[in-house]
Amino acid sequence: MKNRIVLLSIFVSTMMVAGCISEAIEDSVNEDSPNPSEYVWEDDGELVIVTYDVYGLTDEMLSEFENQTGYEISLMKLDDAGSVLNHLMQHKGVQIADLAVGLDNTYLQTAIDNQLLWEHFANISNIKPEVLTPYNGPLAAPFDHGYMCLNYDTEMVDGENLTVPTSLWDLTNEEWNGKVAIPSPETSSPGRAFMTATVDYFANDEDNQTEWTDWWTAMSANDAIITTGWSEAYETHYTGGYGEYTEGYVGDAHMVVSYCHSPGVESWYNGNWTKSAALDLPRSAFHQVEYASAVEGGNLDAASAFIEYLLSEEVNVKMPTENFMYSVIENSDLPEDGGYRYHSTVPTLAANVSASDIALNMESWLEDWNAAMVAA
Amino acid sequence: MNSRHLGILAVCAYTILVIVPLWLAIDRLIWISGFDIVNWIQSLERNFVSQGAFEFTLIQATISTIATLVIGIPIAWQLGRYKWPHDYLIRSILTMPFVMPSIVAAMGFLHLISESGLDIRSNKDTWFATLIIAHAWFNLSLVIRFCEPVLSTLDPKMEEQMLLLPAGRTKIGRIRNLWIPLLTPSIAAAACMTFVFSFTSFALVKWITLGENTLESMMASIGSSAGINGYMISKNEIILGSSLIQFTILLLSLWIMSVLQHKRQSRLPKASESIVKMKNKSGWFIVVPAILFAITPLITLIISSFRVRESGPGSTTYSWSTAGWEYAFTSTSSLPSAWDALFNSVGYALTALAIALPLGWMLAQFICDLEKVRPRLARFFDLFTMLPFAVSSVMIGLGVMLGMIRIDAEFFYSLWLTPAIAHVMITTPFVVRIILPALRSIDPVYDECARTLGISKVKRFFKIKVPMLRGSILIATIFTLAMSMGEFGASWVVTRNSDWTTLPIMIDSLRSIPYNNSLTAPAANAVASVLMLIALILFISTEKFRPRRDGGMF
Amino acid sequence: MLSCKGLGKSFDKVLFDDFNLDLQSGEIVAITGPSGCGKTTLLRCICGLEELDEGQIILDGKDITNTIAEERGIGMIFQKPVLYPHLDVEGNLRLGSRDCDITATLAEVELTGFESRRIETLSGGEGQRIALARALLANPSVLLLDEPFSSLDEELSDKLLSDVREFLKRRNCPAVLVTHNLDVAKKFADSVISIK
Repeated sequence: MKNRIVLLSIFVSTMMVAGCISEAIEDSVNEDSPNPSEYVWEDDGELVIVTYDVYGLTDEMLSEFENQTGYEISLMKLDDAGSVLNHLMQHKGVQIADLAVGLDNTYLQTAIDNQLLWEHFANISNIKPEVLTPYNGPLAAPFDHGYMCLNYDTEMVDGENLTVPTSLWDLTNEEWNGKVAIPSPETSSPGRAFMTATVDYFANDEDNQTEWTDWWTAMSANDAIITTGWSEAYETHYTGGYGEYTEGYVGDAHMVVSYCHSPGVESWYNGNWTKSAALDLPRSAFHQVEYASAVEGGNLDAASAFIEYLLSEEVNVKMPTENFMYSVIENSDLPEDGGYRYHSTVPTLAANVSASDIALNMESWLEDWNAAMVAA
Repeated sequence: MNSRHLGILAVCAYTILVIVPLWLAIDRLIWISGFDIVNWIQSLERNFVSQGAFEFTLIQATISTIATLVIGIPIAWQLGRYKWPHDYLIRSILTMPFVMPSIVAAMGFLHLISESGLDIRSNKDTWFATLIIAHAWFNLSLVIRFCEPVLSTLDPKMEEQMLLLPAGRTKIGRIRNLWIPLLTPSIAAAACMTFVFSFTSFALVKWITLGENTLESMMASIGSSAGINGYMISKNEIILGSSLIQFTILLLSLWIMSVLQHKRQSRLPKASESIVKMKNKSGWFIVVPAILFAITPLITLIISSFRVRESGPGSTTYSWSTAGWEYAFTSTSSLPSAWDALFNSVGYALTALAIALPLGWMLAQFICDLEKVRPRLARFFDLFTMLPFAVSSVMIGLGVMLGMIRIDAEFFYSLWLTPAIAHVMITTPFVVRIILPALRSIDPVYDECARTLGISKVKRFFKIKVPMLRGSILIATIFTLAMSMGEFGASWVVTRNSDWTTLPIMIDSLRSIPYNNSLTAPAANAVASVLMLIALILFISTEKFRPRRDGGMF
Repeated sequence: MLSCKGLGKSFDKVLFDDFNLDLQSGEIVAITGPSGCGKTTLLRCICGLEELDEGQIILDGKDITNTIAEERGIGMIFQKPVLYPHLDVEGNLRLGSRDCDITATLAEVELTGFESRRIETLSGGEGQRIALARALLANPSVLLLDEPFSSLDEELSDKLLSDVREFLKRRNCPAVLVTHNLDVAKKFADSVISIK
């Protein structure tokens, strides 16, 4: 009996200690973000970059930076933009990374609202004005941009097997069942960009009865393939791209959310030929800008140096060929070789969703999207 | 300090290391999303990312269990009832899949069904069947381990007796009246364990199916967004709901299994080793395919690591080269080399061993001693040490990430050993399960006699107890090392930092690299081959020391 | 010398009550009684493997009632030879005394050349002889014997008993033998105590 009491009391007191610890943790991280003048950091000669698989961060590009500045880079590669944001949120106040690359204009606001980013002091200039529209400030430096839109496989969508949609509602028809691949807005930046476009699209279509969420419900009912990231949608599912040459190719989708210039990339790789085309429906495209941001508490010297490097003309003009996105440098354009520029579409009318709209509504949009998908 | 104090110390250490992180994690999740069990369960259906996960988990686990029994029982029958040349080798081969890390199996099967193999992967309809078969492959050894000893050590008089009785004249009658009652506890136990493993499947589901989620894989995918105050609250609810479901179902399965194990022990007619078995030529039609089934995924894995598939518009070429291996073993700025992963894996395994073995031993000793004076309290502690079995590895990973690390994030993130915490949590219960029966089996007279010879407690421990339990200690050691090195679920949640990457995580990372890099698949398979070979070596070492015919999992 | 005063123990029923024994140097006593009457428990209490309910044990003037078994200096031979399977004969003997003359010890129990023999290969009689040699190597003040030869056939048992008696007398080691066989008791011991 005595032993039992002893053991029980040890057990209970251990749990109580644990409970006290957990309460202490909740209280600890509630300080406000400091002023730039109050920033304190340590330059340990290392730069840790948290990112997803940004193609442009090649070994050559990184070692060039290392040689130029002496900083040692290590990449923390996560799955997608959502993972990057989650990582920053999880490590609030105790960040591991110095630089975050890959948050876009649909993810950035959350990071800013939660004081996860610091103002960098990189010297940047010569940036296209339209790239600065969503955000123009020291917390995030735009390093590439592009237009999100649907791409389709012209060999399958040829008028016989499938017809080119004239409205997004066409994709909810039986013929498109299980043939559209869309990355999830909860995890992927292209996915979130596209969802944001649909908000605008359906707010401006002739049909006043339906909401954008109704369309998503219909898509869910029509077995739209929702993936966690863009690469799974484009490489594994889409038949119009290079996916068929990759391992694990499934090839069940003939329509995918990608970039309006993706067919250009395909053509450039294939030597001036592609079967992929962008679907240019008004307001179905979204202007996406991707950012590099210094992470709070990180090595601000290294982060700023890298931002400067990334946005330098020599490096940034290579975005189309290294990163398959538009460069942010003024007066730059896609290259002409290989039919890159020719096969790339500039949308006639992109979705018009302001940065402040996004800041205000993204959270509820995501909730609505979730509810819409479940409702099917 | 006497043994009782040691035991209490062990219980405290165990509570702090194993129970507290889980408690803290769950406490945090509840703090963020509120305590409302109904809400948690409902959130599974309310959210797109989790919708259908429970149904899928249940269905595939059930079908996997059935498939495993259907495939496994005939094999166990053949092995147990008939004489085979090199039967030790055959049995080893057939039970070997069980110790394979799940990620290795995933890569093996993935290769089998992909373009370089049977090329059925692009057909979605094959995914479910492949998953089931992969689960059966894994858990075959459970059926064999549980059923075969019963079959082969049955006193032949029982069968002879049955043949003479009216009920046993026909084969059906014998099956119904002798074999089924005899085998049911073993089959049911094997079924329970198979169900448990299939229910918490992660790596196989992730790689063989695309987009389908078990509760486990779904929790892993949303884990990184959980535990953050005011952010993605629904994810916390989902995790609470699914971990509760998992816990309940696992606990139920384990309870059923422990009841059956208990029943089985009292039912077994005493074994007779010297049974003369007959050969069965037609049995080769079962045993040979079984052997091929067991080894094929692994052989293809090794072969595929040397095969590079270059595919481009208009052409696909295959070439034999070591490029995949070179790629895997070279570090880049984004991925460490397999050497680093190997170093980490071995380091974490040894750390887990250094903690789990003494801790598990102390717990086992404590329970064993308690059984003599307070059997009911002993049973309570026995179940207490089994608790982690009912917690899936992803949940343990979340326990470390949300529970432990949150205590002092900066400290834990700078500590290389942090992922090993998860490994200790997972392996300690296994040590207890291996050492406890061994301790029970030592006749107390051995210790008593040593006492009368004036040998001190410490000397008795090292000169008598440890050497007598040498076999079990070795098995516990190897098992701990193997489990740690092959651990995937918890590590996946915790190690998002290349400093901590382990072999299984590296395999997953390599295979996840997008775009048209023809080396990523061979590289992943190369690392998987290394991990496989390590697991094989550990397995072979265990087989030498396993007590034969014990009919248990280990 | 061993002195037991008023030893008593019960477990559900009374096993023994107010047991007294005085053992002088070199004296051999036998305790007889029917099976299950507590003789083994009595021995176990004397050597410290079990706790007494009441009574006192004094050895060479020291009260050892509450001393742990390994420190009492009382040896015991069990009913079956307790030999450690992970050690050979020599290893087992060394448990009794680390530096002893193995050859001489084995010669004394008429098992010359058995140093490297595995325990499994020994017969019952050989095993008990090794156990005895080992126990004596530990230099006990008293040796307790719990029906050590009851599982052997009568002829062998008799021989072994007289050998053991000889060893004990030579060493002047007092001993207590427990047996259910009155004849054995009379042959082996100087005096016999009966327990009901």
